[in-house]
Amino acid sequence: MLELRSIHKTWEPRRGERRPLLNGVELRVASGQTVAILGASGCGKSTLLKIVAGLEAPDSGTVWMDGQDITRMPPEQRHFALMFQDFALFPHLTVQDNVAFGLVEQGIRKAQARSQAVEMLRRFGMEAFALSRVWQLSGGEQQRVALARALITRPRVLLLDEPFSALDAELRVHLREEFRQHITAHGMATLWVTHDEAEARAVAQVGWRLEQGVLQALWGA
Amino acid sequence: MRQGAAPLALAGLPLAFLLVVLVAPAVRLVAEGWPTDGHSLQALWAPWQDDYLRWRMVWSFLQALLTCAAALVLGLPLAWVLARLEFRGRSLVLRALMLPFVVPTLVAALGVLTLMGPHGVLVQLGGPDLQGTAWLLLYGNLFFNLCVVVRAGTDALEQVSASRLAAARTLGASPWRAFWRVEWPAIAPWLMSALCLVFLYCFAGFGLALVLGGQRYATVEVEIYTLVAHELQLGQAGVLALWMLMLTALVAWGYAAIERQLATPGRADRQPRQRPQGAGHWLLLVVALGVFMLICALPLVAIAWKAIISGAFLSSGEHAAWRVLLEEDTRMALWNTLRFSFSAVVLATVLGLAHALAARRSLALRTLVFLPFLVSPVMVAFGLLLLYPSWTGNALLLVCAYALLAYPFVAKSVASALDSMPLYYLQAARSLGASPWRAFWRVTLPLLAPALRRGVAFAAATAVGEFAVSLFLSRPEWATLTTLIYQHLGRPGAANLDAAMVLACLLMALTMGTFALIEWRGSREPDHA
Amino acid sequence: MKHGIFSFLAAAIASLGLVNAASAADTAELRVLTHSSFAVPKPLLAQFEKEAGVKLRITKAGDAGEMLNKLILTRAKPIADVVYGIDNALAPKALAAEVLDAYNGPAATRTAVAPLPAPLVPVDYGYVTVNYDKAWFAKSGMALPKSLEELTQPAYARLLVVQNPATSSPGHAFLLATVGALGEEKAFDWWARMRSGGLKVAKGWSEAYYTEFSRNGGKYPLVVSYAASPAAELFYAKDKPTEPPTGSLALAGGVFRQVEGVALVKGGSQRAAAQKFVEFMRSVPVQQQMQTEMWMYPAEAGVARADVMKFAPEPAAFDAPAEKDLAARGADWVARWTRVVLK
Repeated sequence: MLELRSIHKTWEPRRGERRPLLNGVELRVASGQTVAILGASGCGKSTLLKIVAGLEAPDSGTVWMDGQDITRMPPEQRHFALMFQDFALFPHLTVQDNVAFGLVEQGIRKAQARSQAVEMLRRFGMEAFALSRVWQLSGGEQQRVALARALITRPRVLLLDEPFSALDAELRVHLREEFRQHITAHGMATLWVTHDEAEARAVAQVGWRLEQGVLQALWGA
Repeated sequence: MRQGAAPLALAGLPLAFLLVVLVAPAVRLVAEGWPTDGHSLQALWAPWQDDYLRWRMVWSFLQALLTCAAALVLGLPLAWVLARLEFRGRSLVLRALMLPFVVPTLVAALGVLTLMGPHGVLVQLGGPDLQGTAWLLLYGNLFFNLCVVVRAGTDALEQVSASRLAAARTLGASPWRAFWRVEWPAIAPWLMSALCLVFLYCFAGFGLALVLGGQRYATVEVEIYTLVAHELQLGQAGVLALWMLMLTALVAWGYAAIERQLATPGRADRQPRQRPQGAGHWLLLVVALGVFMLICALPLVAIAWKAIISGAFLSSGEHAAWRVLLEEDTRMALWNTLRFSFSAVVLATVLGLAHALAARRSLALRTLVFLPFLVSPVMVAFGLLLLYPSWTGNALLLVCAYALLAYPFVAKSVASALDSMPLYYLQAARSLGASPWRAFWRVTLPLLAPALRRGVAFAAATAVGEFAVSLFLSRPEWATLTTLIYQHLGRPGAANLDAAMVLACLLMALTMGTFALIEWRGSREPDHA
Repeated sequence: MKHGIFSFLAAAIASLGLVNAASAADTAELRVLTHSSFAVPKPLLAQFEKEAGVKLRITKAGDAGEMLNKLILTRAKPIADVVYGIDNALAPKALAAEVLDAYNGPAATRTAVAPLPAPLVPVDYGYVTVNYDKAWFAKSGMALPKSLEELTQPAYARLLVVQNPATSSPGHAFLLATVGALGEEKAFDWWARMRSGGLKVAKGWSEAYYTEFSRNGGKYPLVVSYAASPAAELFYAKDKPTEPPTGSLALAGGVFRQVEGVALVKGGSQRAAAQKFVEFMRSVPVQQQMQTEMWMYPAEAGVARADVMKFAPEPAAFDAPAEKDLAARGADWVARWTRVVLK
């Protein structure tokens, strides 16, 4: 179970001007549960995700995972996978090497990691693209590959930062169902940041809104 | 984790190198000649009170500024054409652009004079004889420096987001307006970086400027050289060098400040190249290639022409020019050139990479990248002699001297690429389980590879061209191609001149081969330069 | 890409090893400092190494003036054991700086064709003169100038290119010749008139000869060079001409005899080998090679002249300032020249 306790973070848009971004955020995400965080752009949702991932440190407050304080733990040890609006697939690697990236970091040999990657791509219906280059794929295809890349490492927590913002409405509806199925099949805790309430309600059991630096419960909490 | 910052401790490596090889010797030399009788303050102002030296300083500044302006105006169309248009011979032009860097000064002067000297092509076409005028000096500066601006411009244009350009066009901007309002602001920081480098090169202008412009248009660097090497007036030289350092450091600092402010991580959607469409494109292509031919290519062609003509007499006499390629001296010189340049490039790559990574956050470090160009090389050479006399004959010191002048190119190129690299790649890698070192090795470095290759190409060209390294002590068994060329030009006789031309061609061919090798691995990437 | 990097690094380390190979030698090393024009055939050097039982480590240090300055700068911890290339123009400076040691062996006591102040042992000598382009003068129909005074006429002054005495050994020599012949005041008056007549100044010999001299594409048919240069032109010509395309003018006040010598460096090591080196430089084989390798005349008396040197006859007369004047005012003359001609 993922737990955030009293997270505070201020933001400095210009020199000498500080604005509170997160003002005592408290959150619990149980294993197998998907929690959605809604809010206007620029309100701090992405920053919250980065703090959970370990890419940024909070000004104060702690992050706990399964009873362990991981606030100081570097991101590569946390086993949390992060997905981006811009897909962030590595342009210098093929699709299968992208998916295999995390496995290689876990010490699995390259050949074996690649075959596991292809297997994963098959589950997404994308094995034909295994040797393609990233820029040859459409946006939807790229985001699928990004999910495959995240899930194959069996993360404890999956973090999604507005994953469908760059895609069209029809695709969004289609993908959200597909993603929900994959996530349920893997059964990990998921934190899903979005500004689309319909999307949030379709994928998450619990919903929060981040407003003025604090979380307001919307449903399921 | 701070976004993408390497430990500042990484800066230790290049800083230590700069201290040992550059700063300590220069300081030691100045200290040797500094007036100890209380007249130091007076001595400081001496250069500005002397008319001659004042003119030299002002002229150094002026011609550097003029060259920058000319390089920008002439180089930008060429850069745009190379970045946006697909045409036959494009990669050849890109590689040939850097050849002027490699050609030894005197040989370049001979090539230029063949075109514009008293018996040159220009005179034969009815134009004026430009030898000894400021115009020829400007031309000489451009010959050497245009490639820096063009390469930077090409790199920069390739970073401009295609979607932003498309947005501008659909919002009603004509191609020219789209360039002015979208592309120009995006590439301005990169160009400024290049122009700063060009300015420093010209300000401290040593070789070609002197030969083509004559003593009237010599720069302050020549004064320093004369004072140190020939008159051993270390005090005066130190004062001049100090002023030069202060003025150029100001320029470097100003540029670094602007660059840091303007640096924004970009997106990865590049504008693909297309074949020229319409009269506008074709006209621009012709003009740009014309500029390239006139400024960069013609003197080199003249040198090759001279060499070919001399070689036409293949079997006349024991001094046939082509025979020089078979001599043992030449083989040894070739081997020396290869091994020294190679070692220097390796060292420069390591230093440049370390410096660029460490300088992301630090303005001071960014400015320091230019240090090798701010300190007078003759002071460094003599300072090294004074400070480490037992190391005079050491090959390692020689390689360090080469690397000193070459590594800023690697550092600049990598720094620019780091500035524009999107942050999310590193973040994705970290969240997928890669430690900072692994993320660097598997993601950052491969993504830097194109910029690194370009920086290394420039570093290699500098090492092979031995810019100013001839000031350092050398041993006959270490003679390189450049030294050998100067040896031939140290004796009278047509055979010697021809041999020098033939060796110059060998040098150019060697360089083209090196570039092809360096950039070959990158040819699998799309839109590679 | 990883394979590429590792093989690259491996090759790099290997090459660095090559660069620094064999620096720790068993045989002793004799360090010789010379100027850039030093050229003694390798077989002779190898033979010396064998006979003396030392390894030669020759360091070329730029032109003669630079070389001497480097020697002076490092006198606390000398970078060489023996130095070759200090000439009579630089001798006062070398003696004043006390960087040389005395040598009294046979080479020093034998009479030389041209002398040098002790402790320098003369090795070779040459003449700095004005060279002219025969083809240019034939085409223009102008007569060759016959005196320094005639040179100051505008018609001739704008035909001459000289080297900056501050940065060039022949340029310095030419300046000394004019001062020696005309005396200081008249000499600088001459230089001032030459400047207003259109005299061209180049940085060094290579620049003047290969970019300004009309024979090589420049517009100046008169250049300060050496009396032996025409012979070299013939030797290195492409097709076989019967006479050199350039000639040497023996103008009164425009000829300087440059005598180069070898000496032991104060504070240097390997004394015995260094002394053998001095003898070696005066040995007949080396002296003979001086002519076609460095284009200088041998200082050793009785050495046979090479054939080609008949095209470089020694000028009958030459000028030089008195030694004590040179010692006292040498640096001032160069500074004054810069003010008069360049500023």
